[in-house]
Amino acid sequence: MAQANLLSPPSQIPPPVALQLSQKAPPILAAPPTSSLPWPLSLLFTRETPESWAIHENLFLASIRTGDDASARQILDRLTARFGEDNERIVTMHGIYEEALAKDDKALERIFEAYEKILRDDPTNFGVRKRRVAVLKSLGRTADAITALTVLVENSPIDAEAWAELSELYAGVGAWGQAIFSMEEVLLIMPNSWSAHAQVATLHYLSSPTSLPALSLALRHFARSVELNEYYLRGYYGLKLVAEKLIPLLSDSSSSNAKRNTDDDDVPPPNLASVKKLDELATSKLAEIVRQYGSGKKGWTGFDEAEVIAARELLDRK
Amino acid sequence: MPFLGTALNTAGLLFLTHAVYSTHEHTATFAHTPLPLDITIELLVSILILSAGIVVSSPQLKPIQWAKWAGKIQRGGRHSEGKWTREGEEVLSEGDPYAFLGLDGGIGGKGEGRRGFWDVRGKRKEYAHWAKTGGKQ
Repeated sequence: MAQANLLSPPSQIPPPVALQLSQKAPPILAAPPTSSLPWPLSLLFTRETPESWAIHENLFLASIRTGDDASARQILDRLTARFGEDNERIVTMHGIYEEALAKDDKALERIFEAYEKILRDDPTNFGVRKRRVAVLKSLGRTADAITALTVLVENSPIDAEAWAELSELYAGVGAWGQAIFSMEEVLLIMPNSWSAHAQVATLHYLSSPTSLPALSLALRHFARSVELNEYYLRGYYGLKLVAEKLIPLLSDSSSSNAKRNTDDDDVPPPNLASVKKLDELATSKLAEIVRQYGSGKKGWTGFDEAEVIAARELLDRK
Repeated sequence: MPFLGTALNTAGLLFLTHAVYSTHEHTATFAHTPLPLDITIELLVSILILSAGIVVSSPQLKPIQWAKWAGKIQRGGRHSEGKWTREGEEVLSEGDPYAFLGLDGGIGGKGEGRRGFWDVRGKRKEYAHWAKTGGKQ
């Protein structure tokens, strides 16, 4: 994708892309999507589509990020005029705007108080609840952020986004057990998500990169993620990495297998032959991805370049 | 392919219209005689051509296996569908439906997922730093 897109923004926005996005503001601000005609006519001659509001929202975030506060204000006013001040998402966006303008931690604390007040009036506004967590995180109060998030997921246990954030926060403080638990909650909500499986596997791997049970679980989840997505680079990368660590462990322990089975509670270690097969599969798939991406063939350009380079390095390591 | 589909559709519609018109004319002039064979054949042929045209000009089918479908999204990335919104933004093909979980960057990744927890100050700082250091990575 050569051009930055406001309708479906890329999954990663480095500063140059953010600049490109926010530079699209003037023409969009110059042509409001709502009609200026009086009421019955405005319904007939409106040019607004759901896409225009998605574009406005993304443009708002891009302008805020690049410090173009004047444009952000204009977009916010336009959205407020369209959807009303009490709309949950508008309240949240007002909050983001205030946060961006906050000069220091004191000002941020005041915004936090304002969020508390909004939540006292309407405790069901989950957008604001999430902003509250984000502010706590931004203030560096990770423990408080985790507490606030646990309350949030208790009230809304099917919020996959909140579980994923909670897992990330736990992982950030090194609480691997809790991080894995939260990620498994995401899996319960979205069992087909290949990235969630890969994330669980990564957490297992990071929690103890040398122990056999953790590595077996990581292998299982990586295997599931590539089962769900046949060209999932991260899945194959992890599969190969874990398999390479498992093979020596398994060949060492094959003599003391009987003893091991008693202390590992639920997961039996994988079979050495199948781990070798998985390693071969991952190697061939990674090689295919690297080759096809390198040739720049049509239909193979969707990979992240940094990930492909990392995969090539992993293959060259031998 | 789009040309072939359009041509088949046009031809099929022309034949169909002609067959229907002929039937009408025939029944108007000779009310109690059976329909001549050539009109029947024309009608059937036109329907065949039209059906073929519709099938040929339909968009490409999506893979019905989850892994194949996901793999196609993964390796192809998002591409243009040849449509633009009024604001001039391209309408892209479908992307990773789980991108909103923000798990692609791994742990501590810098993805744009989890919009609800968007770190506005961090992103602003990152951008300001980039702008101050002369716009280099």
